[in-house]
Amino acid sequence: MGTIELRNVNKSFGSVDVIKDVSLVANEGEFVVFVGPSGCGKSTLLRLIAGLENTSSGSVHIDSKDVTELEPYHRNLSMVFQSYALYPHMSVYGNIAFALKTARVPQPEVDRKVREAAETLKLTPYLNRKPRELSGGQRQRVAIGRAIVRKPKGFLFDEPLSNLDAALRTQTRLEIATLHKTLGSTIIYVTHDQIEAMTLADKIVVLKDGQVMQIGSPKNLYAEPRNTFVAQFIGSPKMNLLTDGTYEGDTMRYHEDVTINTLEVNGNPCILGIRPEDISFCDPNGADLKASVVYNEFHGADNNVFVKVPGLGDLNVRASGKLDLKVGQNIGLTLDKQQIHYFDADGNRVSK
Amino acid sequence: MTPKIENRVLAAPVVVFLLAMLGFPVLIDIIYSFSEVSFETLRSPKLNYGENFYKVVNDPGFWSASWFSLKFGVLTALAECILGLLLAVYLTPIIKKNNWMIAILIMPMIIAPVMMGLMYRLVFHEFVGSLPHYLYLLFGNSPGFLTRENIFLTLFTIETLQWTPFAFLLFYMAYQAIPGEMREAAAVDGTRPWRMFWFIEIPQMAPTIVAAFFIRFIDGFRVFDNIYVLAGPGPGGASTSLSIYIYETFFSLRDIGKALAASVILFCAAFLILFFVSRFLRRNKS
Amino acid sequence: MKINYSNILRWLVFIVAVLVMNFPVISTISASLKTAAEISQSPSLLVHEPTLQNYFSIFEVSERLNIFAYLQNSLIASLIGSILPILLCFPLAYAVARRGYGTNLIFPTIVNLRAMPLIIFAIPLYMMYQTIGLLDTSLGLGLILVVVNLPLALLLLVNAINDVPYELDESARMDGARIFTILIKVVLPICLPTLATVFIFSFITAWNEFLFGLMLTTTNAMPMTVGASFFFSSGGGGIQWGVAAAVIIVASLPPVVLGVLMYKHISRPMIAGAVKG
Repeated sequence: MGTIELRNVNKSFGSVDVIKDVSLVANEGEFVVFVGPSGCGKSTLLRLIAGLENTSSGSVHIDSKDVTELEPYHRNLSMVFQSYALYPHMSVYGNIAFALKTARVPQPEVDRKVREAAETLKLTPYLNRKPRELSGGQRQRVAIGRAIVRKPKGFLFDEPLSNLDAALRTQTRLEIATLHKTLGSTIIYVTHDQIEAMTLADKIVVLKDGQVMQIGSPKNLYAEPRNTFVAQFIGSPKMNLLTDGTYEGDTMRYHEDVTINTLEVNGNPCILGIRPEDISFCDPNGADLKASVVYNEFHGADNNVFVKVPGLGDLNVRASGKLDLKVGQNIGLTLDKQQIHYFDADGNRVSK
Repeated sequence: MTPKIENRVLAAPVVVFLLAMLGFPVLIDIIYSFSEVSFETLRSPKLNYGENFYKVVNDPGFWSASWFSLKFGVLTALAECILGLLLAVYLTPIIKKNNWMIAILIMPMIIAPVMMGLMYRLVFHEFVGSLPHYLYLLFGNSPGFLTRENIFLTLFTIETLQWTPFAFLLFYMAYQAIPGEMREAAAVDGTRPWRMFWFIEIPQMAPTIVAAFFIRFIDGFRVFDNIYVLAGPGPGGASTSLSIYIYETFFSLRDIGKALAASVILFCAAFLILFFVSRFLRRNKS
Repeated sequence: MKINYSNILRWLVFIVAVLVMNFPVISTISASLKTAAEISQSPSLLVHEPTLQNYFSIFEVSERLNIFAYLQNSLIASLIGSILPILLCFPLAYAVARRGYGTNLIFPTIVNLRAMPLIIFAIPLYMMYQTIGLLDTSLGLGLILVVVNLPLALLLLVNAINDVPYELDESARMDGARIFTILIKVVLPICLPTLATVFIFSFITAWNEFLFGLMLTTTNAMPMTVGASFFFSSGGGGIQWGVAAAVIIVASLPPVVLGVLMYKHISRPMIAGAVKG
């Protein structure tokens, strides 16, 4: 109950291809996050699943049933819009009850279901208020209440946190995660924020320019990104990419004869990737690489250090906040060889 | 229902209504304008081909009525726009603090034009009217307002006085809509009020000015109500606008075919003008 | 207290402008308050022996002037002419605003109707009405008033619907609503302020209409505007100017009261009609 599947879905607006051959599965009860930069097509994909847009080709399936031609209501999904889309002329009660009334559910049952949903979301004191009298967080809960009252097969969230300020965002993120555990339904969630993706998702779908870059669990995407785009999109601060290298079996040779020891891999990589936390500082003598400090961002527990390595360029290193570093200081870098990622000239992963 | 069918259903009420209300009349207009028909033979018109049109085109009354309407439309629109603009710009500082002034200023245009005409009939009356009374007191003489020489000026004045508030309202709103920052930037650059008005504010209001002129011209061109109750066709036809010409031809002269022929000509003229103006505007927008 | 001389001049200009533009109104009011004797003696604006007798005379229903009938006719025709345009245009406005339907033909045609001299339809309409029995009926008059008000109604409604966020439509769709439910339960309530504005402006326009009232009614459905003007054409016995003045004032009151109270509402239709049209 609640499996959502896309098979070879394409969508064009006129001559512009917005979604290119996307296939994915959201299993029952999974929290799936579509993530990607602006314009990657994640919202369009969500709307295709909802039925608010029609596919140009390909099919949408819910619980193995082909719903591609069905109207939104017949797909039995609920959607929470980015701006919540609350009906301004109805009270909270009216907003939540609207769908049930449209389905001609008898009034006593409507009342029971609305109060139940309000109770779950702690909205009971506000049932008679109009949306303009509510705070941002409360409005969001009304939008969610409207969605859950129909007991749909799945929930679709379109960037629900972008209209909230930072503090509220963290709190609401937690509420959504708790809601997922309570309801156990399938959730498809769209965001451009990779932190939201990493913290909430069971499965992440990374999109770029209408195409799927990678699908996997957060850990999976973090540890084994399939290409340089995913590698740099997931994880903050970004992974360092060392380009323009020549592979020589067990070393990568860069400009000015700088070399890095590597493992043996199947293929011909020319890009090395290493995450800031997999680089450590040491004495310049005997280090893998020699660098000088360009700038240091003090984050409290961590230092986010920008260093310059001749022949390689600028790197980002994560160090303990207790370290005291000065600009221009010469320092050595040690790389964790097991954590090096290898990519070929097309940006695709080369396996070990 | 597919979206396409839905759209047709949504549009249906208006379209059906307009076809019924205007579609038939247009057909009748065309057929009867080419026929000889009277009030008795209403159901059985006799085609006389272009004879009605010939009559209209050869009627000096038609041309003088058209010229009257054209002159009237242009002059009243011009006067109303200039006066309205001056009032709007000059009075803005005090209106901003006293919004109720707008209600009083627009009152003339809320009154029906026909009522205004009747009121002026009272005002102009040589025995009962207040205007001749005060003019005698001030100047010792009072002109004949509705004589052949004066009637155009009189009607022009009446129309302008009633509808200047319309232009005023439009320009006042447009004047308010000019972004304050634009004025501030110009002021910082040392722009004096006259230059500010002429080179910055007027250009910003240009679309509104054009629109106001256009609307007032159309309304002035088809003027009927106040002229009808004040003077009718007027001495020697001196106040016959095109609308009055058509009305008189239909009701007084009872020449249905001719009246409709004139109507058709007017319709075509209006349609063509609108068509070209729309094209011109669309080209200017892009 | 600082005296702002330039503003004093402005106030003067304002007062002069108001007086000049409203001069006939002031004259008429003053005439309506004069006794018959005073009117023939003193045409000045000042009233020495004010009286309300003229107003009372109006309400004594006579053969020459049945003011109650006229007011009722105007009311019915104006209500038809101001409510029906909204009902007819709202669905089309939705199609135009949300789906761009008719932007090439239907929408510009209707909006440009505003610039047509409608007298060209008056004559055939007369003949049509005579045939189907709508001549001299308030319904018949009301219907043509609908046509007069349609263009502006459509324009304003399209603008109003454009201001309603599209996400509300989609949200309602997800909630299972079909097109008419969305129209009536979601979009319409949000557009109510504009509907009120359109109604007020249309009502005033309809009430002030003269030409069609003149041509399409005779006795039963004569509206106030035509009735007042007929009172002026002296039918034996001369015009009682005092009563005539009172008739004009009473006939002009409804739109003026409505307009002055709601002037904020009618300024918007003017602007929209101007800039977009």
